[in-house]
Amino acid sequence: MAIVTVLTVCPYCGTGCQIVINSLGAGERVVGYSRSPVNEGKLCIKGYSGLSYNFSNERLKNPLVKRNGEFTTVTWEDAIREASRGLKDIIRKYGPDSVAFQSSAKCTNEENYLMQKIARMVGTNNIDHCARSCHSPTALGLITTLGAGAATGSIKSLEHARTFFIIGSNTTEQHPIIGSKIVSERKKGKNLIVADPRKTQLAEIATIHLQFRPGTDIALLNSIMFVILKEHLEDRKFIEERTQGFDEFEKEVEKYAPEVTENITGIRPEDVREVAMIVAKEKPASILYAMGITQHIHGTENVMAVSNLALLTGNLGVSGSGIFPLRGQNNVQGSSDMGALAEWYPGYIPVGSPKVKMLEELWQRKLPDKKGLTLSEMFDAAEEGRVKAIYLMGENPLVTESAVSDVEKAIDNLELFIVQDIFMTLTAGAADIVFPASTSLEKEGTFTNTERRIQKVNKVYDSPGTAKPDWWILNEMGKEVAGMKNYESPEEIFEEIRKAIPSYSGASYENIYPEGKQWPINASHPDGTEILHETSFPIGRGKFIPVSYGDPAESVDEKYNFIMTTGRNYYHWHSGTMSRRTDILERESPEAYVEINTDDARELGIRNFQSVTIESRHGSIKTKARITDKIPSKVIFVPFHFEESRVNRLVGKQLDPLSKMPEFKVVAVRLLV
Amino acid sequence: MNYLLRKEEIEKAFLEISKDFETFGATEKEGEVIFDHVHNFDEISDKRSRYAPKEFLIQRNENVLSLEKTDRRAVFGIKSCDLKGFYIMDKQILGKDPFYTEKRNNTLFANFVCNEPCEGGFCSSFGGPVLDEYDLQILRDGDQYHVMVSEKYEGYFKSYRQEDGSAFAKFKDEFDAKTVHLPVEGLEKRMKWNSSLWKDFASMCISCGACNFSCPTCYCFDLYDEGEERKREWDSCILTGFTSSSAGNIRKNLDERLRQRFYHKFTYYKKAKDVYLCTGCNRCVEDCPVGIDIKEVITHDYSGE
Repeated sequence: MAIVTVLTVCPYCGTGCQIVINSLGAGERVVGYSRSPVNEGKLCIKGYSGLSYNFSNERLKNPLVKRNGEFTTVTWEDAIREASRGLKDIIRKYGPDSVAFQSSAKCTNEENYLMQKIARMVGTNNIDHCARSCHSPTALGLITTLGAGAATGSIKSLEHARTFFIIGSNTTEQHPIIGSKIVSERKKGKNLIVADPRKTQLAEIATIHLQFRPGTDIALLNSIMFVILKEHLEDRKFIEERTQGFDEFEKEVEKYAPEVTENITGIRPEDVREVAMIVAKEKPASILYAMGITQHIHGTENVMAVSNLALLTGNLGVSGSGIFPLRGQNNVQGSSDMGALAEWYPGYIPVGSPKVKMLEELWQRKLPDKKGLTLSEMFDAAEEGRVKAIYLMGENPLVTESAVSDVEKAIDNLELFIVQDIFMTLTAGAADIVFPASTSLEKEGTFTNTERRIQKVNKVYDSPGTAKPDWWILNEMGKEVAGMKNYESPEEIFEEIRKAIPSYSGASYENIYPEGKQWPINASHPDGTEILHETSFPIGRGKFIPVSYGDPAESVDEKYNFIMTTGRNYYHWHSGTMSRRTDILERESPEAYVEINTDDARELGIRNFQSVTIESRHGSIKTKARITDKIPSKVIFVPFHFEESRVNRLVGKQLDPLSKMPEFKVVAVRLLV
Repeated sequence: MNYLLRKEEIEKAFLEISKDFETFGATEKEGEVIFDHVHNFDEISDKRSRYAPKEFLIQRNENVLSLEKTDRRAVFGIKSCDLKGFYIMDKQILGKDPFYTEKRNNTLFANFVCNEPCEGGFCSSFGGPVLDEYDLQILRDGDQYHVMVSEKYEGYFKSYRQEDGSAFAKFKDEFDAKTVHLPVEGLEKRMKWNSSLWKDFASMCISCGACNFSCPTCYCFDLYDEGEERKREWDSCILTGFTSSSAGNIRKNLDERLRQRFYHKFTYYKKAKDVYLCTGCNRCVEDCPVGIDIKEVITHDYSGE
């Protein structure tokens, strides 16, 4: 009997907990790595009980090609040949912008780098991935205001905060180990302000819970800043020495007296005042946010409002202060850093910028200078026939994308659809060619977590059948489709990443193991950087950007009288591809449901667990009621994990015009019993 | 019987045992003490392992449709608190759980007695690191080893120097004097159903299951089917799906489930088996991300509420 002991990174959320897997055969033992600066030996239920999907009988074991509507097993040679020929034919016939590439924040930095490199080397910027639907407003918002689209501090630095301001993050459920840190600090007497329409666990123990109406974030944040300015609590020194654009910003905020915003947000002026006092006076304050801020048509402006608050109170550059966009996927920071985005090359070099020249030299290829299509635009283009082929890795848009009915039509309309995954997902089922991939426990590479920590991912198990690591598949495809060079190993790819992205230049497989290093890591920061913006911002001075409140895309009326917000729960992960195939997690949350407020349920005569239909202006689904006081009246919550009851049938296509983020958090619906 | 062995003698005894058993030991990797194959006694770490090696007897995830015969295994370097967990759970599952029983009967544990109390540990409250039940109990004393050997494994030690048990007794007194003793006696009578503790814990708990998974005495599992296999997997009584019926979990709220965990440990098991379901290892405290401390359950002033 072989024993393997491997230190690697949990495959679930962006916290990036380090796990030690000690395996006696398949009976794996998982513990948190006690020396990890990220999780200090702690794990959540997904870390402990969420890894058995790896051994599921349903794993894809061989390449599949659809012939006459049925999948047939083929060799890797045939699968790669067929896929690459198909792509090349379409490019030859319709040009490079007729193909689109969808990368994955579940995959490693090396793999994301390869995927975007293939896209760009064939001549298109049609490369995107699920960061679009989670933190694209963060990248754009924070790069604009601060110069770096990432968390400004470390998870460890949260211990130095005196105040936590959390908006739109159910931290104990979605980033449990970060959430647990907040719980522990709160118990020590730290201030905790939670702004969330739902009564989350942190809201229950908060100093103040601002239970505001979904989609009114800017009105709320501006009203808090209004009070800070009126009471002269702003950090004058910081504003004068480190920022620009204050006057215009101040003029905008003057319109947001809490007495005025109360009608929009539902928050009493005295609560706004109290919060303003705490945030401005009890420093340092750490501001944490997640999808509650970003998944709106005003997502980018929401991020900028958060940034304004940090700049106004001087809560940046010091340990315990800062802005923490909590990253969803394990590697969504990294996949964004790698430039698997339609508007950015690796290292956030804007498409069309003269700086792309550096990459042209590195890759020896003239690169496209036109912005590519984003995730939802790719499907629109496919529906319209402008995009003919999609090569997709490790995503399941038929469950996770907004307006999924349109995604179905778009995929049907493709000439070639290639999917690379570990399971036969709903999306893979619609593919022409399916590549069976290894899980992250079966391969090597790096992930970058929510605090910019580049961490080594190591192989624990062999892959089933002939399944291959994504980097291997991409390497084969890249050579055929894009004339890319051959890479022998993930490390060889990483060595190129170091050349392409200056903030990764000082990292190596050797020095990031075992504890990881936070970027920027380079000649001037050889050991990485824990706290960003200590003395200056990458753009010099931090920018105040005045943002004004605008209504969400959808509003309630007499017919659609409820606001629906969507999201995850503690036990499942996104489309459930992994978590729904692990015993304990699936047992804890086996079916789709909708959270309904107790009073609303009484009024509508809905009993707990009763089947209800939710209808929006875009579609309808049937699901089960869960009656709770944790959600306010006239708001419902539906998780998006369940393919048998896809809530994204109800979500429309309204996008944030700046980041192209769909509005997953505000949908007008009605309940039919 | 008790023996006193020199270093080279214990090495020799180890090699003799290795001939008959697949041999494992506590070893260090990336700064974590885990269990792996060992080939020399020298390789075995004196340090406390990162976790209680429960998986030697209850695999984290195993097929239960067929009972496979287990090879004989020897596990060196398990600490007394972790080994004691098996003796406590024996009372409930030995002879009843065939998978556990098969492995239990074929596994030799050589527990290392801690020379110094560990930080946070409170094993002395439950009898301390010198156990009354053991296979091989090893106490390092400089270059020598005091070894207590159970009858079953006497054969491996016959040729070595016998001694009386005074070294262990003396050590036990010294260790006891150095450690805190929590007032566990009569806890089953003191614990209070309506204590504020349970709600306090629930306000912090993130339902990660660490307390169960780290505990050397927790043995509960979930049964499930996958394809043609029926499997079981370690479970956590903190979760809502644990022991749920078609009407759901009878303990709907987290505070009720946490209370159940502590009542099981300190009241129900004590009343049924006359032993507390806790060895004072402190592992649940160390692995808890929000610092819920089982010691508070023991020391809490219930009568003052």
